[in-house]
Amino acid sequence: MPVHETDTLIIGGGITSAMLAQKLAELRPGRKITIVEAGRSIFDTQNRGRYRERAMEYGEHPWHDDYIEDQQAAGIISMTMAVGGLALHWGGACNRFSEEDLRLKSMYGLATDWPIEWAELERYYCEAERRLNVSGEPSPHAEDRRSQPYPQGPIPLSYNLQILKTWAERSGIKFSPLPMARNLTPSGGRGACCVYDTCGEVCPSGARYSPDYTFRQLMEPKKIVLHDRTLVRKLILDERRSTIVAAQGVHQDRPADPIEYRAKTFVMASGYCWSSHLLLLSANARFPDGLANRSGLVGRFMNGHSFLNATANIDDQTFPGQNITHSLISREYFRCPTNRPFVRHDTRVWESSAGRDPRLRAPGGALLLGDELMADWRSRTKGSSVRLRAYVDVHPSADSRLTLDPSKKNRYGDAMPKIEHRLDDATRAREAATRAHVQGVFATLAKASNGRIVNNSEGDYLDHPGGGCRMGTDPAASVCDSFGRTHDHENLFVVGAPTTPTGGCTNGTLTFVALTLRSAEEIARAS
Amino acid sequence: MHRMKRRTLLQWLGGVVGAVPLRTMRVFAQPRDLTDESVATLYEIAATVLPASLGATRVRATADKFVAWTRGYREGVALSHGYGHPRLQRSGASPVPIYIAQLAALAAEASARGARWPALDLDTRRRLLDAALTKANVRGLPARPTGQHVVSDLMAFYFRSSEANDVCYNAMINREVCRPIAITTKRPRPLA
Repeated sequence: MPVHETDTLIIGGGITSAMLAQKLAELRPGRKITIVEAGRSIFDTQNRGRYRERAMEYGEHPWHDDYIEDQQAAGIISMTMAVGGLALHWGGACNRFSEEDLRLKSMYGLATDWPIEWAELERYYCEAERRLNVSGEPSPHAEDRRSQPYPQGPIPLSYNLQILKTWAERSGIKFSPLPMARNLTPSGGRGACCVYDTCGEVCPSGARYSPDYTFRQLMEPKKIVLHDRTLVRKLILDERRSTIVAAQGVHQDRPADPIEYRAKTFVMASGYCWSSHLLLLSANARFPDGLANRSGLVGRFMNGHSFLNATANIDDQTFPGQNITHSLISREYFRCPTNRPFVRHDTRVWESSAGRDPRLRAPGGALLLGDELMADWRSRTKGSSVRLRAYVDVHPSADSRLTLDPSKKNRYGDAMPKIEHRLDDATRAREAATRAHVQGVFATLAKASNGRIVNNSEGDYLDHPGGGCRMGTDPAASVCDSFGRTHDHENLFVVGAPTTPTGGCTNGTLTFVALTLRSAEEIARAS
Repeated sequence: MHRMKRRTLLQWLGGVVGAVPLRTMRVFAQPRDLTDESVATLYEIAATVLPASLGATRVRATADKFVAWTRGYREGVALSHGYGHPRLQRSGASPVPIYIAQLAALAAEASARGARWPALDLDTRRRLLDAALTKANVRGLPARPTGQHVVSDLMAFYFRSSEANDVCYNAMINREVCRPIAITTKRPRPLA
């Protein structure tokens, strides 16, 4: 069996892995950092323009073979398993949570508090924004004060978003440009934004941050070693102590020849699904329920936020297609007064062409041809559609779980994960009131410019999921401490999304990165 | 012995291929390129289903781009697997054999009326296209060509394009074109 010795082994190759590796290489130059990722490296940045064209013209997936067909989870939000992870094709939204997310129990008697002070987390938000080169505008709310400015000014609002900002703010609710990890000028080996407007699929210029750039920059001067297409199947416990001594895996091309990684420190940077999964798979006689699982909480309290959508029609004129992937955000409802029914959500506004797209048939059913179709389409473009969405703060129950499904196994015989989200009683009890509140906000926005809501809908999954290895101070009620160090194994860390106790009410990636950068300092001390 | 007329045969083929899933069609698939005859019919039909206001040259150029699109089609490629409820899907067989049959069926319909397609009056053309699309179970304008019917696919190819969006709004939005971000901050200029 090939054995690789390293100082720090990072399992997983997504955005938290990239940020952790980058910072560890700075803090501990000369220490050996090895990253093992089950998926393949997709480093052909020169081809991304062509991949984008194929995606637009034929619907082809622009990230070829970025998945492993038999390594999938029921209930997962993306099939992607590759170096770069989901952040190969994230939208780039970089919103911060707010202090309330960290104090739900003490402020509202809900869910649990995070074992970290806001002022401290805020410092790591600044660092995360610097490393991701976030473009943003300070929030108009005093509670959102920052200790450092954004590394870049805001993404310039398109003409459409300028119109929509004026419209939306007639409600008295303040909106800002969405902060995004998108280069306005070339930086960090990545190009400047030139509005390909496919951030959530593929960014040919590299303006929207993706971790593959960081990995390549770390690999070239040999600051890290990356083993891709290698699936870690099990962590091995020391025979006498509660430390991890090895990770055993297998390369896709050599399935009969297991590989062992020996390290001083092991870090699970495998995201909300595969971190819990590996801990559960690594059960042994001393930890029969899985490693790091004396609390029984590995794979529990799986979180995320629910979301509500609406489309408004307004009289103001916009021109759909200017910058579809950028949006406005309001943090007005991040803070809920403690003497009112609990509801927290962000509010987002996008340009839209919903209901105003070309159609084949007139309302009476007549087939429209040529100029008739164009005239029909044009007749429906007066005014604008507006896409609205709110990410809502909902809280998981202990039964919100990732479990091993013995009926679904990969080629090696490992049971695959099954994720089933469940909300706690308090969240379910306020669902109707939450929905009414959010739809009321949408209706309030719509009133300006002769606006009206033309449809409402709800998401049927939790977005930006996290949890499964939640952090806390009590080993009986959490899996790891605030640095991600597992309570049960001093040299085993979990970073990023899995450690979050609750899912907030806005995009989670910046928070996952900030938490990881904080963990990095403790991991560096331990290495 | 009952002899099926060529037109009837082509109509039948057009109906059958429209009803068979692309993947199933693989066993029948032969041509990779549209035939000269089918391209000629495509040009004729393009003049009806694309805006005449574009001018004959642009209508023809759009049809040519659509033909190029059919040549660039790749079978069995992973499609976007989505987010939220992801699933693996692959592109089906080339739509070319279906298109050839559908175009032949439409040409036969015109021929049965003693004319080529452009000579038919608009009501007749609309009725024939409507019947063909209905038979192929086309309910709306697809987001991009799907292989369901060559006519709705050609229309989607144009009307879902950045170019058509600009024509509709009479504005240089350039939705799918790489451009400096500063340009997007201004109201788009009218088309020249």
